[in-house]
Amino acid sequence: MDLDANRTLIVAALARIPAGDRAALQTVYRLTSAKLFGVCLRILGERSEAEDVLQEVYVTVWRKAADFDAERASPLTWLIAIARNRSIDRLRASKHSRHMAPIEAADDVADSGTMADVALENAQDYARLHGCLDGLEAKERSALRGAFFDGNTYEDLATRMNVPLGTMKSWIRRAMMKLKSCLQQ
Amino acid sequence: MSDVTAPVPEDDLLAAELALGVLAGAERAAALQRAAREASFASAVAAWEERFVPWAAEIAEVSAPPSVWERIVAALPADKQTSGWWQSLAFWRGLSLATGALAAACIGALIYLGNAPQQAPLTAGIDGDGRRHFVATIDTRSSSIAVVPAAYSADATREPELWLIPADGKPRPLGMLRADRAVTIKIPSELAALTVGNAVLAVSLEPPGGSPTGSPTGPVIATGKLTNL
Repeated sequence: MDLDANRTLIVAALARIPAGDRAALQTVYRLTSAKLFGVCLRILGERSEAEDVLQEVYVTVWRKAADFDAERASPLTWLIAIARNRSIDRLRASKHSRHMAPIEAADDVADSGTMADVALENAQDYARLHGCLDGLEAKERSALRGAFFDGNTYEDLATRMNVPLGTMKSWIRRAMMKLKSCLQQ
Repeated sequence: MSDVTAPVPEDDLLAAELALGVLAGAERAAALQRAAREASFASAVAAWEERFVPWAAEIAEVSAPPSVWERIVAALPADKQTSGWWQSLAFWRGLSLATGALAAACIGALIYLGNAPQQAPLTAGIDGDGRRHFVATIDTRSSSIAVVPAAYSADATREPELWLIPADGKPRPLGMLRADRAVTIKIPSELAALTVGNAVLAVSLEPPGGSPTGSPTGPVIATGKLTNL
């Protein structure tokens, strides 16, 4: 599905939700639930939990649609952030991470991108992010990937990559700041 | 790119950590609270979400089962719209799941009030496998049957066909149903006399366009008995 082409539809539907328009929520659901379910499933790794969280996500969208400001954020960024946050909350509540296989920095050859959905914001943003990620050290990139896709904490990542917690924190912080400065250029 | 980066305020780092999702426990709770209370911190978090989000393009879309939408509708607070809600498929799906019999009664009542029929309408919840798949209401005055999908979820290759099974036990085809909207079917005149209380409605899965034989060829997934309101 071309989510970017549907951006206008999603924004318009989000704007109708605060008035109590259930059909508008259903429109948002139809246009975005497959993506958000993919996100929940990726982090939680378990279907029934991902379904529970997906339900919470859209109930949250119903309650918080008035907070969404189309001038300031893309609707997909907003929705994906809700899906990630809810999934991470669920993961943290269950007290054990699902993705704890050791990460070798060399694993990250796969990083150059199996892009499932090029149209998600747009291909240019994806290419730009990837360009900047490619500028990071392999271990930094692997750590960021573990956090973003697997919902890992600093501690999970330190375990998976077999380094002290403080080392992991400094890798990730340094990586994020390099990323920010690269994306600003 | 150089390793020398501009000094970054501690808050921006915290916003990045929250957006990436590496915080846990009290640290995460405190950061979430700040995002809820401080607009400037919230926009820093949003900016980081925007930076990371293109990565989500690598996550494949996965269709969620229809039950998720039904649960969402059931979890929403009571409807506050003043008009139009009875036309919403979502509303009926949610309501009929929660209170199927009531939904049937409401549809009947709407038809009843709208048409002022001589005879009371007949209704049936068409259930199978512990789920209410459709809700049917027959307006005996106009000899038509309205069928609203409830928990029924579309089959990949086959389509739902509605059958009337009167006292003789022989299924008579009434017409094709839809997963995504209500349909109204005119009852053939030769079947009108058979469409009475205690007759059974059944739904089978058939090739597109309906059973080629005039009898169900696919599995019967749901049935329900007609009752007078």
